[in-house]
Amino acid sequence: MKRLIILIFLFVMLAPVKGYSQWEFFEHRYKYKLTDVLEADRFEKKDGYWEGYRGNRLVGYVFLSKEWTKKLVGYSGKHMETLIGMDTEGRLTGVKIIFHSEPIVLIGLKEKNYQDFMKQYKGRSIKEELTVGKQISMDAITGATVTAVVQNAIILGSARKVAAVTGMMQFAKKKRGKISTKFRRLTWKELLESGAVRNLRVTSESLGMKSKEVYLDLYFAVVTPPSIGRSLLGDRLYSDIMKRLKNGGSAIVVFARGKGSFKGSGYARGGVFDRFNIEQQDRVFVFRDRDYRIVTEIKATGAPDIREGGVFIVRDAEFDQTSPFRFNLILPFRIGAKKEFKSFGAEYRLPERFLE
Amino acid sequence: MSDKVKFNRRNFLQILGAAGIAAGSGVLIPKETLLARTEKDSRRRGHQSNEVKPGELDDYYGFWSGGHSGEVRVIGVPSMREIKRIPVFNMDVATGWGITNESKKLLRGRYTGDTHHVHGSYKNGTYDGRYLFVNDKLNNRVARIRIDYMEVDAIVDIPNVQGLHGLFPQRYPKTEWVVANSEFQVPVPNDETNASAFTKPKQYYGLHTIIDAERMSIVCQVLVDENMDLAATDYKGKYSMTTSYNTEKGVTISEMLASDYDYMLVFHWGRIKEALRKGNYTRINGVKVIDGRKGHSDIVLRIPVPKNPHGINVSPDGKYAICSGKVSPTCTVVDLDLIDLAFEGKIKPEECIVAQPEIGLGPLHTTFDGRGNAYTSVFIDSTNVKWNIQKAIEAEKKGEEEKKKKEYIIDVLDIHYQVGHIMASMAETKEADGKWLVSLNKFSKDRFLNAGPVKAENDQLIDISGKKLRLVHDSPAYMEPHDCIIVRRDIVEPNVKDRYDMFEHPLAVTESGVKRNGKNVIIRMTSNAPVYGLQEVRLKKGDRVTLIVTNHDEISDLSHGVAISNYNINFVIGPFQTKSVTFTADKVGVFWVYCTNFCHALHLEMRMRLIVEP
Repeated sequence: MKRLIILIFLFVMLAPVKGYSQWEFFEHRYKYKLTDVLEADRFEKKDGYWEGYRGNRLVGYVFLSKEWTKKLVGYSGKHMETLIGMDTEGRLTGVKIIFHSEPIVLIGLKEKNYQDFMKQYKGRSIKEELTVGKQISMDAITGATVTAVVQNAIILGSARKVAAVTGMMQFAKKKRGKISTKFRRLTWKELLESGAVRNLRVTSESLGMKSKEVYLDLYFAVVTPPSIGRSLLGDRLYSDIMKRLKNGGSAIVVFARGKGSFKGSGYARGGVFDRFNIEQQDRVFVFRDRDYRIVTEIKATGAPDIREGGVFIVRDAEFDQTSPFRFNLILPFRIGAKKEFKSFGAEYRLPERFLE
Repeated sequence: MSDKVKFNRRNFLQILGAAGIAAGSGVLIPKETLLARTEKDSRRRGHQSNEVKPGELDDYYGFWSGGHSGEVRVIGVPSMREIKRIPVFNMDVATGWGITNESKKLLRGRYTGDTHHVHGSYKNGTYDGRYLFVNDKLNNRVARIRIDYMEVDAIVDIPNVQGLHGLFPQRYPKTEWVVANSEFQVPVPNDETNASAFTKPKQYYGLHTIIDAERMSIVCQVLVDENMDLAATDYKGKYSMTTSYNTEKGVTISEMLASDYDYMLVFHWGRIKEALRKGNYTRINGVKVIDGRKGHSDIVLRIPVPKNPHGINVSPDGKYAICSGKVSPTCTVVDLDLIDLAFEGKIKPEECIVAQPEIGLGPLHTTFDGRGNAYTSVFIDSTNVKWNIQKAIEAEKKGEEEKKKKEYIIDVLDIHYQVGHIMASMAETKEADGKWLVSLNKFSKDRFLNAGPVKAENDQLIDISGKKLRLVHDSPAYMEPHDCIIVRRDIVEPNVKDRYDMFEHPLAVTESGVKRNGKNVIIRMTSNAPVYGLQEVRLKKGDRVTLIVTNHDEISDLSHGVAISNYNINFVIGPFQTKSVTFTADKVGVFWVYCTNFCHALHLEMRMRLIVEP
């Protein structure tokens, strides 16, 4: 108790924190007005967004990302605040970065590159697929993959949430299923055939390489049902993972082999896995290394050798592992010395037999 | 894993087919997957490969003692790559062990040490992955390493002893006690109150120390006439054991070798607890010392073994203790089920011996594969000898003629050169798996590039999964590992953390600032790549300064260094870790404090100034 009192006293006595001002050097804040992203002559404030009118006609919405997707943080560990405009059909009318502290300058890029990246969102529909490496090009900020992936998730997630609130898009509010606690040890073949494990295969040809080899042969699954998790990970690792989930959350496991890599190595410094994420309705979930555990072999009988693997925990309670989701893969690769990106995706639905 | 070894190529094609269907594409068999299969074949018995390719991980954590380097090392097995050095009794200028206030509190001014035996904490006869314990033969201490952070969290001084050598934790039901032996007999107490004993070696004693593993405090010591080197415990939580090579109480080599027989000592834990309960002890230097001498108590059983034995190891089934002969070419196999009878006086101590096979010249230590075979390191012959315990017992029963045939010996492997300890994977647990054996050899001449007159040791990796021993890899070791344990990865890995629990340290800094109280200055500073929480601090010459730094980076592997130019201070803080140093600002000038551990693209710019005014 005595020590506590001394500590409290210390906190009070602390001089103003000089060093913290140094952080401002890494921060970029921009002025904005709502018309930067939507042409309108009148805006009406609503809960979390503005309605934009031309004359008396509603022409669209403007909103700030921090109202909707604040949990999504970039390389810097901070949310990239974005001003987003969208018409009543779900087409983006403009996006503008208004605050970020992403250290893209440190990898040889300029602020202008970031703004160029943002320009390509104008005119895109959020009702359609909008993935980095496909519809959204990385060219402007090549190298800053974490920033690009998170920025994309921020725009898409915020816009879809506003679309749902305004009635433009409907996302079925399905009641969550309950994971069956029944356990039967399944072989690799059974896991694949039942749909418990999904496969996503990227051939070298599809990347424009002159090779017949499979570039990346990737498998993923929801871990929680014991028949899947215990069979794939073995009893010990499964119970370790479940211990980490005792306060809620769910987990997916991803395995791969081949020349390519789904993990990449960017997470070693940034702590964010920039090559994959999962998407469920209006939400995008990005994974960080604090909620990750390496896996180096598949325990299920008959499983092949893998080159890399991991269990990735989704802490966000908004994720429903019993509902369909999409696994997005953004694969950088090299043709000669040129770095390119291409995206792939696979749908996942937890088979009924693993539910109660 | 066993499932995978059985896996054959035909099955594999079927499964790939299934994968193809699941993916909605045709059946496609990539060439590299067939190659991968062939590699897996190299895990077959007797043909294991030690190659761990980029991106792959080792199957085992090896924990190596560091000898007179004073440290403990983490080695990946089978790759034999050194992953980490854990400073224990030494000063480590890289991490700041011995420099920070936290480590100084544990080391108390002593920066030399001699670690011989590192062992893990147990639950039900196998490792629980919580702690490692290691001895210091030089300054007579025992340290505990937390496996979650892989760093020392407690050091206990052992009074009344010298040559604190063998150490072993309780194996069953869990590690509550750790025992440690004194190899050098000394007067007890060994101070001015007992000066008359200094020149009378007959008044020198050895002590078997029992340590409380959780509290890291001494439970008691059992005093005996004998010296003791290696230590072991049984698998039932009933006894601890040791070998003694100086029952003679000699103080010169010839005196120590005088008798043809020495002892294996067994300590009866039930009787030790009873003595403690009844108060049958005297306090010496604050420790309860129980008299275990022959004729003074019934706590210690003395089993005569051929002169100057060395290692003592218990088979994974818990049945036998094996004393390796050293000066005698034999190993002595003691049936642990007979120990109680001997304690009760129903049989003679020597009747606990069920075999004494001849192994070779200079048997030192024995390890096990969990399939009934023992592997003994033989120093003079420079070999590892594989022999079958049951066959040795049967030969003993049949008599001398049968013993001479030596049919219990299965294989002998020459090693380079002169082995000390030997250890197989998981061999000191009931889960011995007979996959890998490490032979810790004392000489490495011609095995590595010549790096001067003082050469590395040579740790040889041997595949023991087949019938024969197969040498797979040589790796140099800086002086001088004595012993090691090889622990399955899945036991350790779940317990290892990537970041510290920030508020476990009572001084964790959440906001940077400076507080002055007269000449005493406390600098509290955060650290986030690439910025320290303070840009400058003004000091006066003669200030007594305490610098406390907390790393606020959460990303795993993102450690920072804190070095103060010209002040002889450097330390490293892991994610969310706090460390502190205290020094006198005795030099006037501007002193840059900078990050020594690479952290960021702007790592070089990560610095701040201490301005010491006259």
